[in-house]
Amino acid sequence: MQQQQTQAARNPTSAESTAEAPPKQVALAMDRLAQAARLIADVRLGADRLLEALFVSAQPHQTTKPLHLFLKEDSSMRQHLQDLRTIGILALKAFTDQKRRFFPHLDDGLNGQSSASESVPKKHCGSQISTVTQQEELSDYRTLSDLLMHVEKDMPNMKIFTYQRLDWLKRASTLPCSAEEFLMDSSKEHDFHISNKPRLGLLGAVAADKVAVIELLFPSIFRAIISLHPAGSIDPDAVAFFSPDEGGSYVHARGFSVYHVFKHVTEHAAMALQYFLGTNTETALYSLLHWIFSYQTLFTEPCSKCKRLLSMDRQSDLLLPPVHRPYRSFCAIKSSSPQSISSTKNQTLDASHAYHVGCFSEEA
Amino acid sequence: MPLKWVFHWQPNAGTTVNSQMLTEVSQCAESINGVKEGRWKATLTFYKPMFRADQAVPAEYPRDFLGISLPEQPNRYYFIIRSQKIVLEADSSIQMIMEKLQSYKSRVSLTFEGFQYQLGDFQLRVGKVAPSASENLRGIVLEVEYLPLSSMEKSRQILDGFVEIWQEAMSKRSLPGHFMHIEPNFAEFGLSDHYTSQHTAVQYATVMAQLISAVQTAQAVRN
Repeated sequence: MQQQQTQAARNPTSAESTAEAPPKQVALAMDRLAQAARLIADVRLGADRLLEALFVSAQPHQTTKPLHLFLKEDSSMRQHLQDLRTIGILALKAFTDQKRRFFPHLDDGLNGQSSASESVPKKHCGSQISTVTQQEELSDYRTLSDLLMHVEKDMPNMKIFTYQRLDWLKRASTLPCSAEEFLMDSSKEHDFHISNKPRLGLLGAVAADKVAVIELLFPSIFRAIISLHPAGSIDPDAVAFFSPDEGGSYVHARGFSVYHVFKHVTEHAAMALQYFLGTNTETALYSLLHWIFSYQTLFTEPCSKCKRLLSMDRQSDLLLPPVHRPYRSFCAIKSSSPQSISSTKNQTLDASHAYHVGCFSEEA
Repeated sequence: MPLKWVFHWQPNAGTTVNSQMLTEVSQCAESINGVKEGRWKATLTFYKPMFRADQAVPAEYPRDFLGISLPEQPNRYYFIIRSQKIVLEADSSIQMIMEKLQSYKSRVSLTFEGFQYQLGDFQLRVGKVAPSASENLRGIVLEVEYLPLSSMEKSRQILDGFVEIWQEAMSKRSLPGHFMHIEPNFAEFGLSDHYTSQHTAVQYATVMAQLISAVQTAQAVRN
């Protein structure tokens, strides 16, 4: 690696044939990252000062001092945020350029090319047909509303709810650990949220662009939480699974269930998410939603390898059901796709395969 | 709340339970990586209606009026009339009221107690059944609880899977008997798919009926 880097530094044109980014660009990127971190720290500090100024001004018998403090912090905060935005834009551009240059195969999903290294296995999809269908679907699912509407039709029994980030935190804290919620009529579930509209379809265009959390609920089986970043986009950045009876402020896309089974599924889901994002960011959410849907059989589908439902996991000494669902060759193609009905059916069966932790590694 | 299945020990014909079997069952729990956590205790009381000495008990008074206290609900007391498919959850102070009313008195009281084991997302309770006044072992019960789920239907296969693993572990110990689970018809008691302590109370009432029937059968065989 040392030799490669030195060679790349001396001979920029040959850098394209190596797998390493040139060290100067890396150093620059690290420096910018440090700058961004400092700016974020400044923003945090500024926010504290603003809150302090507000607090002080709420006290009786104040002078205009808090107002000046507030105005001063406001303008310096705006400057910090502007600087951060500039660094962010530069970073994104630099990253995209480097990615295109050194990891061209990561753009394979769209244009159907494959490279020698890291090609996405498409044996279950049929490469030509799947890429055409994927491109068609891409044009359908550019917005979150469109995507969720289509997905709801594909996935009966699964309830989908969307939230702004703060609204989800409020909801999570009210989630009961007891039986009351589930003894209620499911139609009443919509009534006790504070400021949340349950289904995206009911939201106006304004609220849709603030959606940052998607809740997927399979009643009595599991609850999955997906975080979108930025809000209103179709870019998932975290996912976690929980028992439907769990509640509390730890129930969010970066939280972990108190139950082992859901902890394991969450760990596996994180890898699946990275895989979907690495393959094709535009269809990542669509794939993720369909992949999560396959977990409705978490407590019923025996392992495709050992044929048992419960098995003692050697590593953790725990009895677990098959918590792994394959994602590498997972393709969430609509079953209504005309060209490949039979191959779709086969691939749907493959997607319903489940594996214990110990059984999965041999199948991957 | 998490669902559980309650099992009772069914001894082979001609055999009775003893404390050695109880030890073996506990060791079985440990052999599948169960971690001993603490003790648990439930009590079950048979009530009879109080009549004056010269009065006969009318036929329609149920003979199976049970009261149950459960460790997971220290502030609650459960009444069951199995023949009429009635289960009721009351505040634990109802026992004091019953004492004062003197309309029903305690006939027999039994204790279920033992150790609790944690096996990942499963929780096991192994307990001996004995009359409250004595240490005379009358039976063994086993509770298997699956913590992540509350729906009995959705968890059925998981519990079946656990039973399979449990029976495999037990078969290595060659004990003269096996654990049995008889699922009551909860719907007849007005209970839903979502598990509650009332379901547990009904399961214990069913287990009691089984234990009584086993004792009566053993007596008949001896006679």
